[in-house]
Amino acid sequence: MHFLMMALYAAITAVVLAAIDPKAETMRQRVLHGLKTFGGFLGIGLLLSLILYPLPW
Amino acid sequence: MQTRDELRDPLTPVSARALAAEAPRTYPVAIRAAAVIAAWLVPGGGHLLLGRFGRALLFFFTLVGSFILGLSIEGRLFWPTVADPQSFLHYDLITVLWSFAQVGGGLCYVLSYALGFGLSARPEAPTYEYANTFMILAGLLNYLVVIDAFDIASGRKR
Repeated sequence: MHFLMMALYAAITAVVLAAIDPKAETMRQRVLHGLKTFGGFLGIGLLLSLILYPLPW
Repeated sequence: MQTRDELRDPLTPVSARALAAEAPRTYPVAIRAAAVIAAWLVPGGGHLLLGRFGRALLFFFTLVGSFILGLSIEGRLFWPTVADPQSFLHYDLITVLWSFAQVGGGLCYVLSYALGFGLSARPEAPTYEYANTFMILAGLLNYLVVIDAFDIASGRKR
């Protein structure tokens, strides 16, 4: 459930940020920006969860 | 490779039209203002007014969808609440920030309030925090979309 919500959050954010990217000139650049943003959100989220999981507080 | 003389040749009418269509266009102040207001009221409304139909649909479905998803899974509408009348801040800061974020959703927020959706909080619901996050996300992203609509209308981007 939590991962699904995180992925949905990342997808919505990535779509909007890619669409308003002022530097992107072509659709390919927009799609790449969106994929990077989506991957960044998921990757950093998973990394933080792995780091924080063993902490007792 | 083109020679210098060829580069100085006038463009064909088709090329000139294509070039003009690609160049950023500055809209009159009234249209700029209308685009900003429309973009805030309805996510994607400003882009629709400026003829960016694809982006308008994209923003409408993602941002309105995010707000409705939040409402449907026990989200609530925030409004600044008084924390301590004697304190310097007076209002509970977190409710001020969250209500500012949600108000970015424009008519989504106003209509939900008018129709009575999301007025009662159910923090015990397992999806409560997720729901509020999606509603806040929709509002904050719509602020960026409003700025994007203004940039297009003022000729800073296509």
